[in-house]
Amino acid sequence: MNKLMKLPVFVAMLALSGTSIAQSDAHNDADELKIAALEALISAPPERALPLANKVLAADNSDEVKERALFILSQIDDPQAQATLVRYAREASGSLQEEAIRMIGIGGDAAALAELGAIYSAGNSDVRDAVLEAYLIADDKQAVFEIAVNADNTDDFEEAVETLGAMGASDELRELRSRTGVSESLIEAYAISGDLESLLEVARDGSDADMQAEAVEALGIIGGDQVNAELVEIYRAATSEDIREAALDGMLIAGYDEGVLQLYRSSQSTSEKKELLEYLVMMDSDAVWEIVDAALEGGQ
Amino acid sequence: MDKDLEKLVATHAADEHPPPAHVVQRWHTAIDDAAALERQHERAPRVHWHPGSFFWGVAVTAALAIGIGIGIRVADDGVPRGVPSNPGVLVSNPQPQVVPAAFTRGLQVHLRESQQQIADLGGEADRTALVLQLIGQNRMYELAAEANGAPKLARVLRAFEPILLQLAATDIAPEDAEALRAQLAFELNVMLTKLARDASDDTQTT
Repeated sequence: MNKLMKLPVFVAMLALSGTSIAQSDAHNDADELKIAALEALISAPPERALPLANKVLAADNSDEVKERALFILSQIDDPQAQATLVRYAREASGSLQEEAIRMIGIGGDAAALAELGAIYSAGNSDVRDAVLEAYLIADDKQAVFEIAVNADNTDDFEEAVETLGAMGASDELRELRSRTGVSESLIEAYAISGDLESLLEVARDGSDADMQAEAVEALGIIGGDQVNAELVEIYRAATSEDIREAALDGMLIAGYDEGVLQLYRSSQSTSEKKELLEYLVMMDSDAVWEIVDAALEGGQ
Repeated sequence: MDKDLEKLVATHAADEHPPPAHVVQRWHTAIDDAAALERQHERAPRVHWHPGSFFWGVAVTAALAIGIGIGIRVADDGVPRGVPSNPGVLVSNPQPQVVPAAFTRGLQVHLRESQQQIADLGGEADRTALVLQLIGQNRMYELAAEANGAPKLARVLRAFEPILLQLAATDIAPEDAEALRAQLAFELNVMLTKLARDASDDTQTT
């Protein structure tokens, strides 16, 4: 049977969705039926689907059924559908509220997305996470940037920065650095967003040794020929053991055993050779046995 | 030096690669963080998305997709079906456009295969690898949707990713995994029906 031909049957099922079911064993079956009916609603014209989805939301249904109805609303091109999602994002609680927030992200309606700012401010940590997820889904980098800028605690700031990193929001992350200074979460976000330029700036800046070491290590996440060459150069030019170690960690993360091998071969220090060999072993480098053999023979 | 090397050779022969203490410490910290997150999850009945999970999921996915090139279904020319062969050209075109039928068909195949794979998810170890593979594929189609002027589809695909990442977690409770699978199954079904409807509408109007 064609989906459209099935529709009247599903409509009838949905019309009964508010009816309470006495036997608890029947609840799962009833929910499954309602969910199947909701699924078919996507075939209906918006003017028909919208009131039915609203009816499901208003009735005494399980959260699972209501959450499916919210997804259907997110796929209906009608301002009323967005208005319902905003109302649930504001007034519902728990999983239903979080799902409504997610659906606003999926819908991508600018006005509805703008409402999420206030919901974020008033919400608990789960609601705040849901708002960040919605902005990520909608690819609204500016909104996440605003959250990071206005964060009044480290957790909120870091989560917003992590989200920006996942969104590849290089411009916003650079702007954040100029406003808030360098932080570990910003360095990680630069790495995840692939912003080599920013990461190199921090990696070459010796004003904060801890942040510099973090940046050097994070270079390994980006990887590639340029990073590999930079890591070897940073190692060679390093004036502290921490930076040398961070460069080695970076090579370890990037899987650049050739660089470590190059350093091993050029090293004149036994203790340094020992450390480099340890890294090569950790990296499972093919060259390890050759080096071990040469060392046992008394060579380099 | 000889003594050290003997020790090293013996250790390697035993296939033990003890990492430096600071690396071990970092791992322990990561495990503690994960355990703390898990404890939070135990307190809260619903599985929550966490930006950090997405953040590191992106890293893991990128590593998988780029480094080991797992499971991204490629056609004979090395490009995933339905994905533009030269994304740069398409990304640079910001004009709204009709979604190409070839992309829509490729996406339908991707959604159907995702649906099937999610339905067939097996044990914990398999599940994590398979779901990460799905995330890699999903990410390709998300980029392709953007490139083909289909932001609505891109948003839906992007919305799948946090759910898939939760599903990939090795510490997820079976009932939570089941709930996520049911949610994904529903949303995939709806999108498949919608895509089929839109394609049918296009055929009827042309």
